[in-house]
Amino acid sequence: MLLPYLAIVLLAVVTLYSAVVSFRQKPDGEPAATGWVFPHGTNGTARIFVGVATLLLAIGLGAWFKINGSSVNPNSIPRSWRFLIPEGYRGWVRVEFEIPGAPPLPAEAGQTVLKIPPTGLLRTSSPEQYGWAKDDYVFYASGGLQPIPDSGAGKLIWGKINNSEESGSSGKRRYEEFFVGTQQQFKDQAEQSRPNDSPKDSHVPAAIP
Amino acid sequence: MLPFSLYFVTAVVTGFHMYALLSVVVYGVPLNPLELVSWLGSFCLLVAAYVSLFRPRAAARVALIACLAMWCFYAPAMANFVRAKRDKSPAVSQWMCPPGGAARDTPWRIETACL
Repeated sequence: MLLPYLAIVLLAVVTLYSAVVSFRQKPDGEPAATGWVFPHGTNGTARIFVGVATLLLAIGLGAWFKINGSSVNPNSIPRSWRFLIPEGYRGWVRVEFEIPGAPPLPAEAGQTVLKIPPTGLLRTSSPEQYGWAKDDYVFYASGGLQPIPDSGAGKLIWGKINNSEESGSSGKRRYEEFFVGTQQQFKDQAEQSRPNDSPKDSHVPAAIP
Repeated sequence: MLPFSLYFVTAVVTGFHMYALLSVVVYGVPLNPLELVSWLGSFCLLVAAYVSLFRPRAAARVALIACLAMWCFYAPAMANFVRAKRDKSPAVSQWMCPPGGAARDTPWRIETACL
């Protein structure tokens, strides 16, 4: 956490320096002395150097974003997820990643689709994704899709966590969990045992009837 | 090159710091408008860095205004930091003298505090 201290020190130095340069009086009748602390300008070579360095920096940053941007790389999995949850489902949803033999997650319209079965437990061979993304939550039914609010007064998504746990022979199991329901249902459920507290061999989340 | 280097490095460091602070908004942390003002100041300082190659005095004025904008965030932040340090609540395990000065026979304790 050196950054805030460095920022404050540099800011103090620049404030002082810019104040001195701004309010410094030029001596009357004499050419003002030039120096490296208070220069009157920069020569052409330095300007060209700064210009070229800035151009190279911009190209480098652009290339870095292009290489690491997931939307450009066709082989990468989209970070944004779309959770399809059975209509009327209330309770914990759990997604387990990197499960051998489980189907991979499909991608549609730039989003990874996670269709949660009525049990609330989805196992997939796809890896978990990290980074910033805006996930969508929708109820699915025969009639179509209905968005689930995940923020605001009427939000129905609570307690989202990512974690990993020991899973016997296969090593660590990565999973993600969140609760679907009203705030009161979430509080009631939180007072009871969480899915993590249940025995390791039964990973079916507890759904509220 | 000194003004350019000074303004540029400060703009990058403060700008990255503000970016790091603003990025936690995605986790639901309320947005502080002073952080946006400070971020704008960082951008102005970056502009001042390039202006300083041609007109150092004008660049210094732009940099000074940018710095004042940034202090809008950093000054209250420093005041809060100092206040939090000064008003730190006592530790739970802080030694309390037993009634009657019973700690006198334990020389490794601070006896003067109990007398």
